[in-house]
Amino acid sequence: MDTQWPRFEVFEQARPGQPHRNAGAVHAPDAEMALQNARDVFVRRPDCASLWVAPEAAIYSRTAEELTAGEAEAGDEHGPTQMYQVFQKQSQRQAETFVNHLGSVEASSPEAALRQAAEQWGKGAWVWWIVPESAITRSTEAEAASMFAPALNKPYRQPNYYHVQTQMRAVRAHDPDEDEA
Amino acid sequence: METTDEARQEAFERRIARGEKIEPGDWMPDAYRKQLIRIISQHAHSEIVGMLPEGAWITRAPNLRQKLVLLAKVQDEAGHGQYLYHAAETLGATREEMIEALLTGKAKYSSVFNYPSLAWADMGIIGWLVDGAAILNQSMLARCSYGPYSRAMVRICMEEGFHKKQGQEMVIRYARGTPGQTAMVQDALNRWWWPALMMFGPHDSESSNSAALIRWKIKTRTNDELRQEFVNELVPDLHALGLSVPDPALRYNAETSNWITGEIDWDEFWRVVRGGGPCNKERLAARQQAHDDGQWVREALAAYAARTDAGRSTA
Amino acid sequence: MIAPPHPALAPQLLALADDELILGHRDSEWCGHAPILEEDIAFANLAQDELGHAALWYRLVEQLSQARPDHLVFFRQAKHYRCAQLVTLPKGDWAYAMLRQFLFDAAEAVRLPGLAASRYAPLAETAAKIQTEEIYHLRHTRAWVRRLGLGTEESHRRMQAALDALWPYALQLFVPLTDEAALTAAGLVPAAAAMQQEWEALAGATLHDAGLVIPAGAEAVAQDRREIGPHLPGLLDEMQAVARLEGPEVGW
Repeated sequence: MDTQWPRFEVFEQARPGQPHRNAGAVHAPDAEMALQNARDVFVRRPDCASLWVAPEAAIYSRTAEELTAGEAEAGDEHGPTQMYQVFQKQSQRQAETFVNHLGSVEASSPEAALRQAAEQWGKGAWVWWIVPESAITRSTEAEAASMFAPALNKPYRQPNYYHVQTQMRAVRAHDPDEDEA
Repeated sequence: METTDEARQEAFERRIARGEKIEPGDWMPDAYRKQLIRIISQHAHSEIVGMLPEGAWITRAPNLRQKLVLLAKVQDEAGHGQYLYHAAETLGATREEMIEALLTGKAKYSSVFNYPSLAWADMGIIGWLVDGAAILNQSMLARCSYGPYSRAMVRICMEEGFHKKQGQEMVIRYARGTPGQTAMVQDALNRWWWPALMMFGPHDSESSNSAALIRWKIKTRTNDELRQEFVNELVPDLHALGLSVPDPALRYNAETSNWITGEIDWDEFWRVVRGGGPCNKERLAARQQAHDDGQWVREALAAYAARTDAGRSTA
Repeated sequence: MIAPPHPALAPQLLALADDELILGHRDSEWCGHAPILEEDIAFANLAQDELGHAALWYRLVEQLSQARPDHLVFFRQAKHYRCAQLVTLPKGDWAYAMLRQFLFDAAEAVRLPGLAASRYAPLAETAAKIQTEEIYHLRHTRAWVRRLGLGTEESHRRMQAALDALWPYALQLFVPLTDEAALTAAGLVPAAAAMQQEWEALAGATLHDAGLVIPAGAEAVAQDRREIGPHLPGLLDEMQAVARLEGPEVGW
């Protein structure tokens, strides 16, 4: 069957030490192609130090409104635990990116992970994403140069490469009698 | 706890009025979801189809710099389509469905791309006028209430910056270049001026913009307002370059400080919107071809992924 | 103008530049026609990289010969181009496009370390700059070759057909240019024969893992880059058409 392939959410770290932030998603057949597609779709301009991708299907997402309006979700509290990475949308400020990485918790289910996360990072979040560590594929430090440095070699993708203001001023300077009306 | 649809609707409207973004998972009225899917997917289709009139000239770009610049611009348009399809996907549309709607002619896209690009100088005029018009629209949409669409627009606005400027730079150079270049760019302006004005849609009096789109911060400025701003910025610059706008009725109104254009040919506008433009068939045929040619490829990679460790294949 | 360490160096650099330019040009033909949107975007990155590399090599040629890059690209006749025939071949299907790119990227992977060790400093620096981008190219095309080779019967068939057609062309990448031996002896460029062996091992491993069979007993399609092949004239007609509307001194 012909499909557009599944979606992988993309998390971008602009500089080392900063949190990864959700930039969008790519369609890809598998994790390796998802990582490559993420680089090509989202890292055409500086800066990026690291990329993570995770299948959209693996992500447990809840908005504050969903949590208030819905029933409390039980989720397994007692089974074997795994690590979950926690992301949160923290403000209503206009932005290019969505949820930010906060840290990780160990839990038996995404629901239990969210409860822990809420205790640890406060309940003021607008949106929570809980992502199993096992679902995440990351770019490595060794490959960072070939993945991210080439975006620095494409100055023509930036508006400051073009000097239309200067050029139009020069055009007008040659026509002092130019009549607008 | 708000349980009735009416109460939910009121809470929803209050959130938007407070400047909050609606995110995937939040409750939203059906009309909001449906309208947004239509608006966003149409916008996405426009970016994808928009790659064609410009993409055709990459192989003929007349110097290395222009070759790289045009390639990067068309690549950005693909990227913008990608972000927009994703925003629509968060509302429940699938890319398979959206692509099918485009190829079967059910979905609309901006009619401006149904006009042919006949000469190299068209690249400059398209960049300055068509991307210029798009930027006005897009800046408005960056403030819209739906989070994924708003974020896609913020990213698009940042990237779009160079699109208009590279076009304007080309027009500046050719308008003051050789007689051949000047003639080429004037001819391009003659052909793209009216299609660019039509990008802003019908007059406000004919437009079926609902109060809801305004309340939902999807449309905060009217078609005519945007069109007037566009014309006011462009006409003085075109005149300063010695180019003439192909509109014998164009007049400056000193009282309102507006450049008043002649009447748009609305018969032409509706004819092209309904599929009768010079390149409608050609544009869709090209997209259909790419889609068909790509089927075996998509299937092959899906088969490979299914056989290897799902989601964790080795390079 | 820098005095060249050897008179054959400028022609050698010209050949490197021509390869990148024409390959980048062919890659750019896919923009808007790739199998999926993400790959329209990805392959356009590769195309820009190759054109960027071409610009770097043409700049070195300019330093040695005073010929301006845009003049070289847009006002040189086909018969004076020195690219390998591989890069001139038309688009083909996606298997063909990915395999052609992979074979070229593998050649770069083998050649660039040698070039980065050149005794001619500008050449060494340029090669080092290009290497970073080429690492990603190889990763990308290698992943595609593997997936298409192993994916479905149809993708495998198309990949094998592409390999059968392209291998003799790829071999030409290692046919030394006239006077190349002298450049190697002077420590300016790496030795072609050793590079070919390394390349056959590198590319061969990926091809083998992808279930593909390298045609046995193949020979390079040409022994001299002055045999430009049948595709370049038409390609250049299109590429140079707008530039040639005006003279070489006119800016666009």
